[in-house]
Amino acid sequence: MQLTSVWNLFITGTLRGGLYALMAAGLALIMGVMNVSSFMHGELYMIGAYLGWLAHVMLGFDPILSILCAALTSFVVGVLMEKVFFHPLRRKSEKEWLLNAYLVTVGLSFMLQNVALVVFKPVFRGVPAYWEGSIQLSPTMGISIDRMMSFLIAVVAIGAFWLFLRRTKMGRAIRAVAEDARGAMLIGIELNNIYTLSFGLSSMLAGIAGASLLSLTPAYPTMGGVPLAKSWYVVILAGLGNTRGAIIGGFIVGMLESISYYALGAGWQDVVSVVILILILLVKPSGLFGSEVKGMLER
Amino acid sequence: MQKTYENTSAIGLGTRFAGRLRSMGLSIPILAFFVILAVLPQFIKDEYILRLLVISLFFGAQAMAFNFTTGFINVVNFGFAGFVGLGAYTSALLVIELGVSPWLGFVGGTVAAGILGFLTGLLTLRLRGIYAACMAWFVQIALMGLATVNVNLTRGALGLVVPPLGGTLHTAPYFYLLLLMSIGIYVVTTMIVNSNMGLAFRAIGQNLLAARTSGVNPTRYKVINWTIACAIAGLLGSFYAHFIGILTPDMMHFKHTVEVLAIAYIGGRGTLWGGLIASFLMTPVFEYLKPLMAVRLIIYGFFLILVMMFYPQGLSGLFQMIGEWIKGRREKGTAGKAESSMEG
Repeated sequence: MQLTSVWNLFITGTLRGGLYALMAAGLALIMGVMNVSSFMHGELYMIGAYLGWLAHVMLGFDPILSILCAALTSFVVGVLMEKVFFHPLRRKSEKEWLLNAYLVTVGLSFMLQNVALVVFKPVFRGVPAYWEGSIQLSPTMGISIDRMMSFLIAVVAIGAFWLFLRRTKMGRAIRAVAEDARGAMLIGIELNNIYTLSFGLSSMLAGIAGASLLSLTPAYPTMGGVPLAKSWYVVILAGLGNTRGAIIGGFIVGMLESISYYALGAGWQDVVSVVILILILLVKPSGLFGSEVKGMLER
Repeated sequence: MQKTYENTSAIGLGTRFAGRLRSMGLSIPILAFFVILAVLPQFIKDEYILRLLVISLFFGAQAMAFNFTTGFINVVNFGFAGFVGLGAYTSALLVIELGVSPWLGFVGGTVAAGILGFLTGLLTLRLRGIYAACMAWFVQIALMGLATVNVNLTRGALGLVVPPLGGTLHTAPYFYLLLLMSIGIYVVTTMIVNSNMGLAFRAIGQNLLAARTSGVNPTRYKVINWTIACAIAGLLGSFYAHFIGILTPDMMHFKHTVEVLAIAYIGGRGTLWGGLIASFLMTPVFEYLKPLMAVRLIIYGFFLILVMMFYPQGLSGLFQMIGEWIKGRREKGTAGKAESSMEG
C-alpha cells in the first residue's frame, strides 16, 4: 500500500466520519430526549441536500449562504414535523405513543422519498464543486478545497451543537430532559418545547450534512437509505442516546468503513460492519462509550 | 362459566369439535374466508388475477409471521425481507447446485432462516427491542450485499433462475400450495398464541417488568418467538423462489420489509388474521394503482401514518367494533323482546 492510497483513505474516512457524526448526533439526540427511534433521518438528510441544491443552483446563492439556508429551513421543517405529527400523537396516546411514533417515522420516510421522486424526478441534482481548486501537499498528495471545506463545516456544526448543549440554558434543559424527563418537568421545564427544539435541531444537523456534502453525493430521492443505516449503526455501536459517543463513533465508523471498503469491496464491507457489531454486543452491549444513562434494557 | 357447562353437557360432540377449531383460530368467519379462497381458482381462469391472488396471500402470510413477533413480544423485525431472501436463496441454491428435491429445499430454507434468526435473537433480544430491530436490519443489508457480490454463486443482480415446482407454470397449483402453507402457519401460530407460551409472549409485550416478577424468563420466550417467525419467513421465501422463477438481491430490500410492516399494522397489531385480510384488500388496490408510480407509494406511506395516528388498532379493531355493535344490537333486541313478553 502506497502512501498516496493511505492518504486518500484517510481523507475519505474523515469526510465520511464527519457525515456520520452529524447524522448520528442528531439521531442520538432524538433517541436520548424523546426516546423515539427515528427512521426518517435519512430523508431529513435528503431534504437538506435538495434545499442546498435549490439555494445554490436555482437561486444562485454562494456556498456558505446556501448551506446556512438549508440548515435554517431544515430546522423549520423539523419543528413543523414535530408539531404536525408527533405532538398530537403524544397527546392522544399516552402509553403506546413511542411505538406509534416510530411507525409514523417509517411511513413519513416512505412518503418523503416518493414525494421527492415526484417533485424532483429520478435525476441526480448535484454541483460539481462548491469551491474550485485544491491544495497540494506533494505532487501526488492533495486535497481539494471543496472537500476540506465540507469537513470544516461539519466540524463547525458539531462544535456549535456541542457548545449549545453545554453552555446555553436551553441546551442544559435539553440535557436535563434526556436524563430524567419527569424531574425536568418538575423544575418547570416545558417538555413539549424541548421535544420540538430537539427534533428541529436533529433535523438541522442532518440538513447541514446533506447540503454540505452536495458536491460529493448529489441529491437523489433515495439517497437517505445508506446514511440512515450507517447512523443507526453508529448510534448502536456508541451507545444508545449518547450524543458525545455518537460524534466520536461517527468518525471511527467512517474510517473503518473506508479501510474495509478498500480492502474487501462493497458487499463484504457490510458483513464486516455486522461482525464488528456482533463482537461489541457480545463484549460490551452498552456500546463503546455507553453509560447506563438511557439503559439498554427495556424501560 | 355457566355457558361452558351448558356446552359440554347438552350439546356435546359437535360443540366440542367447534371449540377445538376455535382454539386453532378457525372461527366461522375465518373458515369461510379460507373456503372462499379455496374455491376461487375454480371460477377464475385468468392467470393474471390468479397471480395477484398468490401475491396477496404471500404478503398476508408474511404479515402473519411479522405480527407474530411485533404484535405479541413487541419487537419489530426490521430485517424481515432479509430472512425471506435467505430462505429463497438457500432453497434455490440447494435445488440448483446440489440437485436436491425442491421439498428438501423448502426444509433447507426454513432451517437456514430459523438458525440465523435464532443467533441474532440470542445476541440481541436480551436488550431493548431496538437492538434486535437494528441488528436484523444490518444482517439484511449484509445478506443483500453478499447476494450481490457473490456473482459466481447467486449471479448477483443478473438474477438466479429457479426451476418451477414440478415443472408446472400454471398458477393454480402454486396458489393451493401457498394456501395450504398459509392455513398451516395460521393454525400453528394461533395455537402457540393461545397456549401458555402465548400468554408469556403477551405478558412480555405488555409489561416486561411484571412478566419478569411473575417468573417468566423474557429472553427465552422472545428468542423462541423470534426464531419461529424467522423460520416462517424462510419457508415463505423458499416458496417465493420457485413461484417467481428468478431471484434478484432486490427482493431483500428494506422497502419490502416496510410493505409487510404496513400490511401487518393496517391489519391490526396483535392479530394474526388482520394482516391476511388487509393484504387481500390492499395488494389488489395497489396493483391497480400501479400506473400512478410514485404517487401510489406516497398513498401507501400516508395510509400508514393515518392509521398510526388516528386508528392504531387497524382493521381488526374495526372488525371487532362492528362485531360488538352487532352483538350489542342483538342483545338489545332480545332484551327488548323479553321485556315486551313480560309486559304481555
